[in-house]
Amino acid sequence: MVEKKEIPINQEIGVVTFFSSHHAVQAETVLKEAGHKVALIPGPKEISPNCGVALQFEYEEKEDVEAKLNEKSVKFEAIHLYKKTKKSLLDKILGNS
Amino acid sequence: MIYCDNGATSWPKPPQMLEQMNYFVNEIGGSPGRSGHTASVEAERVAFGVREALAEMFNIKDPQQIAFTKNITESLNYVIQTQLKPGDHVITSSMEHNSVMRPLRMLESKGLELTVVQCDEEGFLDPEKVKAAIKENTKMIIVNHASNVIGTIQDVEAVGKVAHEAGVLFTLDAAQSAGLIPVDVEKMHIDFLCVTGHKGLLGPTGTGAVYVNPAIKVEPFMLGGTGSNSEFEEQPEVMPDVWESGTMNIIGVAGLAGSLQFLKEVGIPNIHKREVMLTQRFIDGIKDIPGVKIYGPLDAMKKTAVTSINIEGAVCSEVGKVLDQGFGIMTRTGLHCSPAAHKTIGSFPQGTVRFGFSYFTTEEEVDKVIEAVKVIAEAAAE
Repeated sequence: MVEKKEIPINQEIGVVTFFSSHHAVQAETVLKEAGHKVALIPGPKEISPNCGVALQFEYEEKEDVEAKLNEKSVKFEAIHLYKKTKKSLLDKILGNS
Repeated sequence: MIYCDNGATSWPKPPQMLEQMNYFVNEIGGSPGRSGHTASVEAERVAFGVREALAEMFNIKDPQQIAFTKNITESLNYVIQTQLKPGDHVITSSMEHNSVMRPLRMLESKGLELTVVQCDEEGFLDPEKVKAAIKENTKMIIVNHASNVIGTIQDVEAVGKVAHEAGVLFTLDAAQSAGLIPVDVEKMHIDFLCVTGHKGLLGPTGTGAVYVNPAIKVEPFMLGGTGSNSEFEEQPEVMPDVWESGTMNIIGVAGLAGSLQFLKEVGIPNIHKREVMLTQRFIDGIKDIPGVKIYGPLDAMKKTAVTSINIEGAVCSEVGKVLDQGFGIMTRTGLHCSPAAHKTIGSFPQGTVRFGFSYFTTEEEVDKVIEAVKVIAEAAAE
């Protein structure tokens, strides 16, 4: 069941941050149903002190994603363009480059 | 044994309930919303799925406006104790359960004005009487959708309309109606909907829920950790977190997911149809037995599947004992935590024998119950 995943380095991704995991899971449901490729990820600490769970999405779809979340009244903290610039601890453990 | 106490808790449960609980305990685990790890997120998905299912069932737009509680008594206390202050006026009916009356009477002793609108002998509440009771400081109308003693179904759409037109909050106790007859928060202008998981929703004990109209900002009642805003020592202000502190009964909620799935597959109108048929069969089978008094409406369409009776020449607790020990038929006798309802229907303080059927009750079982009532009535008359 456990997929060993980590955000790729030097790649721009879209991240939605939330006030609580209730909203994160709701966002995942809503966006998956609308056909978006999304995944719940541990919130990168630089952008998400609030809730531990954030949502990764394809940044090119930002307008649609934001519109869908607003349409379904899903509460979120912010939408970020996020680029990880150096190897994380998890990358080191998983041997990612 | 024939189980006729579905008014207290439903039994048997659909197999999906235990399947989902087993799956959760064995494969998922975790506490929802407390960690970012895989199990916690999966648990959160389970919880959110149930919020969505309840939202669909009750025509609630935003599933996040639903908080889980441990039972409907807790839901009702959240609403009553946070919304009503000394000097406010509240209107309720004379058919309410103690989960409404006890908190209201407690607040009354502290300065809440309480009007109890008298229902007729069959338990029906006249919405016009509710309207006539409204005054300047009326804050809320709170009624039960259906009586747990005699099953009488109230015209809650009319009561909701009265509340809405007067700008008064409307709280519905749907303990006996959810999963059986339509409950629609929009159509019925419901501001606070209280439900329980273990009766008509066929879920486990230890589960309940409360819906809050998004236009209302509620105060906290039970405060604690919510897995959100953790850097603050103040309770979050937004639903469901404001009313959902501490670890929820996620194993129970997982079970409720299975039960709701069952209800969706069978279709609530089909559940209702069957229960009406069984209840009418029972009423028709016993109404002409000498010495048997049936309380409430004799038309099964006007009530739920709970029916209260008394047998002349016998005390209700004795009848219950004979049914249980002599016939293997389980009922609930006494006042059913609703002295108000018994006063309304004329069975106070002696109480009644209450039979409650479910979708799973069989026609053969109903016929055996009818036969038992007949035998007991004859014996009591000697």
